[in-house]
Amino acid sequence: MERESEVPKRIAIIEDEAAIRDNYSAAFRREGYAVEGFDAREPALNAFLNRLPDLVVIDINLKDDVEGGFELCRELRARSSDLPIIFLTARDSEFDAVSGLRLGADDYLTKDISLPHLMARIAALFRRMDAMKKPQGNDSRLTRGDLAIDIERMTVHWQDQSVSLTLTEFWLVHAMARYPGHVKNRQQLMDAAQAVLDDNTITSHIKRIRRKFIAIDAEFDAIETVYGMGYRWLGN
Amino acid sequence: MTLKRQLLLVSLLALMLPWAGCEFIRETESALRSGQQQMLAGTARALANSMAGYAEEYPDRIVNGLPTEQLFLQSLGTEPRIDGYFDDWLLQPTSLKSVRGTEGPIQMAIGSYGRMVYVYVDVRDKNVIYATADTAILDDGPLFADRVTLISSSPPYLEEQFVFAAEAPGAIVSYKQDQYGFAPEPAIKAHWQDVPGGYRVEARIPADLLSTSLGLVISNTAARNQRPARISSYSGRTPPPAVRPSGELHSVALNLVQPGMRLLVTDASGWRIAMAGELPVVATDNSFGKGWSRRIYDLLVESGEAVTSAEPDATGREQEPYVSAALSGREMASWFRGDDSGLAIVAVAAPIIDRNSQGDQILGALILQQGTDAILSLTNEGLARLISLTLVATLLVAGTLVGYASWLSRRIRHLSVAALDALDNETLQAALPSALAEDEIGDLSRSFSSVLQQLGDYNAYLRTLASKLSHELRTPLAIVTSSLENLEHEALNEASAGYTARAREGTDRLRRILTAMSEASRVEELMEHAEPESFDLQKVLFSTVNAYRDVYKERSFDFDSTLPSAPATGSPELIIQMLDKLVDNAVGFSATGDTIRIGLDGEEGQLLLTVTNPGPPLPDRMRTQLFDSMVSMRGGENSRHLGLGLYVAKLIVEGHGGSIAADNVKDGVVFEVRLPGQDSR
Repeated sequence: MERESEVPKRIAIIEDEAAIRDNYSAAFRREGYAVEGFDAREPALNAFLNRLPDLVVIDINLKDDVEGGFELCRELRARSSDLPIIFLTARDSEFDAVSGLRLGADDYLTKDISLPHLMARIAALFRRMDAMKKPQGNDSRLTRGDLAIDIERMTVHWQDQSVSLTLTEFWLVHAMARYPGHVKNRQQLMDAAQAVLDDNTITSHIKRIRRKFIAIDAEFDAIETVYGMGYRWLGN
Repeated sequence: MTLKRQLLLVSLLALMLPWAGCEFIRETESALRSGQQQMLAGTARALANSMAGYAEEYPDRIVNGLPTEQLFLQSLGTEPRIDGYFDDWLLQPTSLKSVRGTEGPIQMAIGSYGRMVYVYVDVRDKNVIYATADTAILDDGPLFADRVTLISSSPPYLEEQFVFAAEAPGAIVSYKQDQYGFAPEPAIKAHWQDVPGGYRVEARIPADLLSTSLGLVISNTAARNQRPARISSYSGRTPPPAVRPSGELHSVALNLVQPGMRLLVTDASGWRIAMAGELPVVATDNSFGKGWSRRIYDLLVESGEAVTSAEPDATGREQEPYVSAALSGREMASWFRGDDSGLAIVAVAAPIIDRNSQGDQILGALILQQGTDAILSLTNEGLARLISLTLVATLLVAGTLVGYASWLSRRIRHLSVAALDALDNETLQAALPSALAEDEIGDLSRSFSSVLQQLGDYNAYLRTLASKLSHELRTPLAIVTSSLENLEHEALNEASAGYTARAREGTDRLRRILTAMSEASRVEELMEHAEPESFDLQKVLFSTVNAYRDVYKERSFDFDSTLPSAPATGSPELIIQMLDKLVDNAVGFSATGDTIRIGLDGEEGQLLLTVTNPGPPLPDRMRTQLFDSMVSMRGGENSRHLGLGLYVAKLIVEGHGGSIAADNVKDGVVFEVRLPGQDSR
């Protein structure tokens, strides 16, 4: 595809379950990425000593190292602030998700996610990395009052301050803000976020998004809950 | 029966204490009395022996007539006036000797004061025939009058008669008749008094005029010319000897008697011929006389004969059984007790035996009486103390036992309440009361704790089973899913593609199930981190019910609320999720076209949310388990339900401080959710 001519992006997958690792590796390769698989934290760190990969997919639970994924994420983030890191884990608790994202992961996915959705996310992350390197163009900007969305770079600004959103959150905000006043039901939001999420997860995501905006602007109330229906962005 | 009552019953055993004490008192009293009795008997025997030394002082056994026919000369304390009245004799009416007359009893008495003998006769006679000059003296016809004659004789030699007949009521002249004739006797003073239904004669005769044997004859005539009926105090030809107290024996008795005792001497017929000493007068102690302790005492102590029986007989003849026994030669004791006064008397009668060469002869009886004041006060005091002590002891024992029982049963009750609470509230790890006690209740508490603990562990295991299971299954599912997705990119023939598609369907379904299974733990997590917000439940419900109308097109939804608004606190999203479960449940159990009613009402500061659906009733056995994890009432084609929906609903409701219940209504089922209203928080 378009990347075939370029140097393939390198994805490292750290997953102790060989079958999953192999399946994901195969899928990544099919998409034209170069893949390195590791089953534990130490071998991965050793391999990254010389050169970091372009994207890392980490499982939290690595064999006997129950929190190994978190530890790895912390170390990698210490070495590079812009390395895309995705948690892909069986652990679906809110607490784990919050912990993972707090460590600087770009996304926190459960293993429910389908391969195409995963691929879409990885592609999006790479696209964002590329966009960051380019000068900013106005054509990809979406402005709704105080909200400014850079679709290419996947960045969101509220009142000219950057709102740090995960990929899922960005897609949710984008989906709502694109047509202000329109109620987006859960299914629509799920589709937009390229994920199969249950109701509670969407609720959590919306809450987290609100909190992030409120951290910037205590008066923020642009996301309205339409009970039983979904959510909508209130434009002005 | 509660433990407390059981122990109260057991404490009744403490009543043994007063019973034993009373037995002791009774024994003591009896022993003291018998001791006193023996001592008294000894004294009486000795006195009887010394009294036997005055053999000549005892009257001979009478030969003519019966002892009952003897007249007894009462010792009078004062000098009576001769006026026909008996009350100035200062004797009891019972001391009158009664003889059956033609028109009613004739009562008579003879007394002595100084050197004078007094006679009193009361005759029942409706028709008193007064004497005339010719009938006043003689009584042998042809005309007669009513009269009283005193016979005085020393058989077999002498018989004299003193005649009392009245020509009119008032003072009368008495005539003396002997074998030489008759003459008025001026030394005699007499008085005739008419009373309704009869007359009375009272006379004073110098003792010198009288012989040893005395008798009274009453002549009653119905008319002047009729021969009178004669009633006499004796049945023989001549009267028996009159009984006169012996001055000698009296002074001897005075010397012998000890203070606090009474000494009586009788002749062989039981006539009292000497008396000395006084029984102590029992001070009327009111607290003892009437009170409850007195009644208990009466119950306890062997009752004696009436204390009045111990008094000297008013007629002068002692006829108590113990006296009779003594007169027949047998020493005997008796025991008298006053019913209302505390007086108790021990009396001993001993025979007075003259042991001479002709053999033993019973001269009379000696009666020695002693008041048992000492014993009485001793036992009474003991009794009072015993009663108060045992009462205190019994109350103490009963009180202690009841207190102890209350304490025990309180502990057990606390334990049982705590155990039930722990079960109801599922706080199964909480320590139960008495857990540190070293007794059986402590053991019970510990075993309860361990049972509850195990139950808690099991419940916790059950609760987390779903989420653990879903968590554990997620990795293998991911393997299958990713493998299938990879496979779809391979070149597959039509058949293989079909299989893969079916496999994908299966894994999707599996994934949904796993998501549902982990929902409970996610909800719990959410609630832990949720920041409660204020919202209007009414608005939320209104909007949500509208959404249901879109989602479930085959059901109708009614939403009715009488409230203007329903402020609540919590997470509206979770409340909606809870409502989702209830509505999903209601839809599942109703048929196409049915109406599901959702209601909101206020009830005692609470919000009452109801979801009613037509459909089959809840089976009774399921009613309590309905909201438990992995319990489903659905069968058949609906068996894919894991029974987590209502459990999640319960988690949410309880997380909001509310309660949920299900009940059958007419043709359907209602779920009632009670949530605290905002103002009640």
